[in-house]
This record gives sequence, C-alpha cells and structure tokens, in this order.
Amino acid sequence: MQLLARILRHSATAWSLVILPGLWPAWPIFVVPDFTVLTDPLKYILLYWGLVACVLLAVALTFSPLRVLWPGAAVPLALNRHRRLVGVAACAYALLHLAAHTRHVYDGSFDTFLSEVGKPFQLKGLAALGLLLVLSVTSLHWAVRRLGARRWKALHRLAYVAAALAAWHQIEARKVFPPQVLLIFAPVVVLQAARWWRERGSRAPAA
Amino acid sequence: MLIRIPPAWELPESACTPERDYHLRPRRDFLRTLGGAVAGGLAAPTLLSGATAGFPSRVNPDHRDPALQPTPYELITSYCNFYEFGTGKGDPKVNANRGWKTEPWTVEISGLIRNPLQIDANELVTRMGGAEQRVYRFRCVEAWSMVIPWDGFPLAKLIALADPLPEAKFVTFTTFNDPKNVPGQRSSALEWPYFEGLRLDEANHPLAFIATGIYGRAIPNQNGAPLRLVVPWKYGFKYGKSIVKIDFVAQQPRNTWQVMTPHEYGFYANVNPKVDHPRWSQASERVIGAGGALGQRQRTLMFNGYEGQVAPLYAGLDLRRNY
Repeated sequence: MQLLARILRHSATAWSLVILPGLWPAWPIFVVPDFTVLTDPLKYILLYWGLVACVLLAVALTFSPLRVLWPGAAVPLALNRHRRLVGVAACAYALLHLAAHTRHVYDGSFDTFLSEVGKPFQLKGLAALGLLLVLSVTSLHWAVRRLGARRWKALHRLAYVAAALAAWHQIEARKVFPPQVLLIFAPVVVLQAARWWRERGSRAPAA
Repeated sequence: MLIRIPPAWELPESACTPERDYHLRPRRDFLRTLGGAVAGGLAAPTLLSGATAGFPSRVNPDHRDPALQPTPYELITSYCNFYEFGTGKGDPKVNANRGWKTEPWTVEISGLIRNPLQIDANELVTRMGGAEQRVYRFRCVEAWSMVIPWDGFPLAKLIALADPLPEAKFVTFTTFNDPKNVPGQRSSALEWPYFEGLRLDEANHPLAFIATGIYGRAIPNQNGAPLRLVVPWKYGFKYGKSIVKIDFVAQQPRNTWQVMTPHEYGFYANVNPKVDHPRWSQASERVIGAGGALGQRQRTLMFNGYEGQVAPLYAGLDLRRNY
C-alpha cells in the first residue's frame, strides 16, 4: 500500500494515467486493425474520447470521499494531490470529443452541426462541457486565491452537476440503455452517499 | 535460414478482391490507404452464412448505377446493428459466428393468402428462379450510409407465390426467436422477436427485395442470414433480418422500434433529409469507407435517392407525421 501510494504521488504517474487512455484508439486503427473500428475511425475516436472524459470526471469525484472515508490513509492522500489534474484532463477530453464530433458532422459547411447542436441530447453534453471549462479555468492558483476557499469550494461543487449531465448525455447517446454508465458513475454515487453518512454522523452534536 | 521481413505494403492473399468483385469498383483506395495496417491483422474468423442456393447470382444491369461505389465487403460485414447478437457494432460478427445455424432454415408464409406454405430457404430461392444481384444505397437511421451489392430476389415474386387475398393490406416480417442460442435475446434490450412491416403496395414495389447474399456470396450470419428484407428507400432498421415468418394481415402492424421508442421511430421510416431524428439531423450522412481516416459526409437524398421510383407510394401522406 505504501509503495502504491508512493508511485501514485508522482506527477509523472498521474500524467501518464490521464494521457495514455486517450491514445488507445491507435491500437485498433493502426496496430491490430479492427474492421469495425476502421468503418468509421473518427466516430470511434470521438465516442472513445467522450467515454474517457466521463471516466476521468467520475474518477476525480471519488478522491474526496475516499479521503474522508479513510482519513489519513496513504493512497487517498496521494490521489487527492492530483484531483485538479484529473478534473482538467476530463475537460480536455470533453473538448477533444467536441472537436472530433464537429469534424465528424462537417458536411462542407456547419449546417449539420448547427441543426443538431440545439437538440436536448447535445445541449446536455455542451452544458457539461461548459461547466467543466469554468471549473478548469478557476482551478488555476490565482483563481483559487481570488475566489477564496469557501466560494471556490461552492463553485466547484458544480462538478457534480457536470457529472450528472454527462451521464445523462451518455445514456441518451444510445438507443438502448448503456450499462457502462452505471459502471462509471455508480461508484461516485455510492462513495458520496457513504461520505455524506459519515460526515453527518461526525457533525451531530455529542450531547 | 532466410528470415523474410514482409514490407509494410504487403497484403495477404486473403485481402485480394476476387476478380468478379473487382469489376464492381469497390473502394480500393480505402483498402490501399489502410493496406499497411491491414496486413498484420487479417486473421478474420470463419464466417458462417445462410442459404447457399441461387449462386452464382446474375447481375441485374438495371440496378447497377456506375456512380455508386460499393462499400468494401469487410466493412459491410464488420459494422452491424443486430441486437440479437449484442448492441455493439462489432458484436454480431463475433457472436453470430459461434455455431449459430442458419442452414437449414424454414420460413413460414401465412395469413390472408391463398397459398400458405412452410418452405426451406434454399428451396424458396430456387422457386424464385435463383438470385440476382442489385447494387443499392443503404442508409442507417444513425446517419451513416453504405452501398451494398445484394443478391436475392424481388419481394413481389414471393408475394405472387403467396397470392394474397383482397383483405390483405400489410405484410409483416418476423425474425427468429432463439434465446437459448442467441445471447442478445436473453437480455431485454428489445422486445423479441424483432418485428417489421410494410404496406402491401410498398412490399410489391419493384425495389423491395429479399437478400440471400452480399457480393455474390451467401449473406453472412451477422448481416441477417439466410433471408433479409431490403427496402432501399427506408432506414436500415426496416430491413428485418433472419426472417422466419412472413405474414399477410389486414391492419397496420406496430414494428419493434416503434414499440420501443415511438417518438423516435415510426412505421414508415422513409429516408427523409427534412425530418430530423429527435437527437440528430438526417440532412447528411457519413459515407462508410470513403474519405480516408477523417471520413466523408454527403447530403442525404430524399427517399435515399429513390424518390423517382417510390414517391408516388406516398402521395398525399404527411411525411413529417408519418416518419
């Protein structure tokens, strides 16, 4: 555990863990070609980056509850060093997802893009991305200092709203309910519920 | 000892397009672009397929528009929506080829007809006079398109064999129901069995077709072996796959996707660039296999380019409401 925590503390580890998943599509496209992927590689890439954005956002949201539930444990402390990096990486993947989508629907003009962007399914994704952009910009040190800890914390609770929108967007992207949404976001819900339960207990007056 | 290092451009014999298909002008450029990558991974699984009667098929010159470039066989047979075998596009190719049998296959033709029968798929193809090949545009409701050389016979011939009574107004197509052997049917992703329907005049249209093959070979399991409905002016979900029953009825039936999400999918499902899907635009489509890595998008044509032939079927019908 101590060794794992020591490895996780390194920023090189964190950077590798957020960058490497994004490179995965190179495998089925270039290394072991998969005809299902090659049918529309850009579509595969855009869906994949959207998925990575959701996973990273969910992962970032598990760090604080882990710290509260296991106070002083080395691994949660190591993970919490990288909370901002993981959150900003989720935003970066969401931007890549949008960029790839924009290219995917480019039909010589932006007609298709513009006629689709107002549909509720796409608006949810855009709104989630908008929130993540605000949170990314305000994650810089000067913004934290300017806002003050309390206001910064309140603002950054919007990450939960972004996660809910992202999950909804992901569900709506499919014709049939995609179970991976549960795999990705259920741990966040469970951990947050446990944290709420724990903090509620500790805040209760001792009288 | 000679250690031969194959150059990056080398393709295995199995990647060669058969001469017969070469003349179809498939998107060779696409394969060439990916050639280097393809050489490493062409250990495709053995594909199982359905009805083998009727081959070689006769090319029908009336349905070979030289402007249409058929999508490569590997892409047509790798990117499939066939939820009986899983909801991922690549699932059917794997799951439909794990010993699931489509030969022998019996189809029941029943309902308001003078000649109800149960017939083996191969025998049916023979009764229909063998298979002919037609190159049709294919447009999925998910805004992507292919060009597919289908082999099979006109649906009108089958209807003539069935000899419908005057009360018959609609034809329904039922896919198999085999949850024991088919993984997707053990889930509740859709209501099983998959069910589709056409108006009798639509079904009698000369473009409506029953496919038993692709590219002059028996249709692979993942593409709907051994009998698949093909209605090129409609979205792909209307193309009922692996049909076990063709029933002639008096009332308009509800099709599977209409039952699942009625605000998104209707009975007609005619390709229409002016009527959007609630979640995306239908004004344009990705052309599968074209345009290299970034791909290519083209404007979607009314009735998928078959407006001249099929528009009279829908004269006076509000296509916005009857989507």
